[in-house]
Amino acid sequence: MINEEKVILMTKMASYEGHEGKKDISITHYFRGDYIGFQVLKSVIAATISFLAVFAVYVLYHFEDFMQDIYKMDLLKFGKSVIILYLCVVGAYGVISYVVFASRYNKARKSLRHYYDNLKKLANMYDK
Amino acid sequence: MTTLLVVKQYIKNFISKYEVYLKPLMKLILALASLMMINSKIGYMHRLDNISIVLIVALMCSFMPMNFIIFVAAVFTVLHLYALSLECAAIALVLFLVLFLLYFRFSPKDTLVVLLTPMCFVLKIPYAVPLTMGLIGTPASAISVGCGVIVSYLISYIADSATALSGMDTEDIITKVRYIVDGLLNNKEMLLTIFAFAVTIVIVYLIKRMSINYAWTIAMIAGAIVDVMILLVGDLMFDTNVSIIGIIIGTVFSMLIAKVVEFFAFHVDYSRVEKVQFEDDEYYYYVKAVPKITVATPSKTVKRINTPKKRYSGGQSRR
Repeated sequence: MINEEKVILMTKMASYEGHEGKKDISITHYFRGDYIGFQVLKSVIAATISFLAVFAVYVLYHFEDFMQDIYKMDLLKFGKSVIILYLCVVGAYGVISYVVFASRYNKARKSLRHYYDNLKKLANMYDK
Repeated sequence: MTTLLVVKQYIKNFISKYEVYLKPLMKLILALASLMMINSKIGYMHRLDNISIVLIVALMCSFMPMNFIIFVAAVFTVLHLYALSLECAAIALVLFLVLFLLYFRFSPKDTLVVLLTPMCFVLKIPYAVPLTMGLIGTPASAISVGCGVIVSYLISYIADSATALSGMDTEDIITKVRYIVDGLLNNKEMLLTIFAFAVTIVIVYLIKRMSINYAWTIAMIAGAIVDVMILLVGDLMFDTNVSIIGIIIGTVFSMLIAKVVEFFAFHVDYSRVEKVQFEDDEYYYYVKAVPKITVATPSKTVKRINTPKKRYSGGQSRR
């Protein structure tokens, strides 16, 4: 005889395994610190590339001004302000990605725990 | 109404039955439509403006993940702009790079909106995007929609000023870059549209989640009114020269689309609302339960009225 409860539970678990579960399992393979650190590092690299791209456009836009004032302007001060801006952008983006990926990790752990609970329930059903 | 509900049920059954084939087909249609729109709007590279190439790429998209369509559309756009001028392509590339690197890392679900928004702009129904995203998305969708608005304004700005750009000296890189960046950043209409769409999404989302009857419809109407009001007030303040009739007609059409989305995503019967109260050890519960409207599709029963063929007995002769 088909045990309806068991079928429902197994369907739910199979659908979880097929969709979000895959991602959740790969996330929880890492330790929390490792996962978040890796993602933040990726974000920092992405932010650096984007900053460089936007900065290149900025320089191109003001190219004539730069050429005119290149001997007059304080290059050290300009460089300092660019680096500070860069650090602010990367820092802000890093913080945002830390928050996002930390919550994503917690969510993955939570739903995976729920999945294991269901697995236990299923095992108990077989034991009966 | 019952017929509509039956049709809806049929469509749902049909989709769930043939999902395996319908998904690639939908991707194919989406890729085909977006690439053809790009080609018709900024088809400067004649080698790409070729239906066979578009078909091949669209077919490729149908077997790849959804985000691949966005990637392909971005590549097509950059290549077309490269044929127009290197500077346009560079700026579009920087914009796409920033989008892909900074934003798409967080929201792989919403990325399709960045493609759909420019498509809706071409179809003159951009107001459908904030209304539907408010209904089925989250407030974070405002960022995706904003990105889509920027992309579509960049493309239409370059398309409009293509003659001016191609008339400029090829050596004059800086002037061209300034021309494009100025045109994009000083475009008040774009900034106003982004602001209006973001506010609309947040308002639609907030009202939709309220525990009031007909929340989705109210959210839709309120969102549409707020959208139109912001665009019109912005027109007065910044003199953006938007077409008022276009906004109103576009909004009405967009509301119709949002209504269709509501019909498929959230269709409940408010006349049978049940309000119950109960408590347990820790909480009081004030529960409002709204029943969904469902109908069963009439099942076809085939009744056989022909009698089974009689076997000829040995004594009878055949003619």
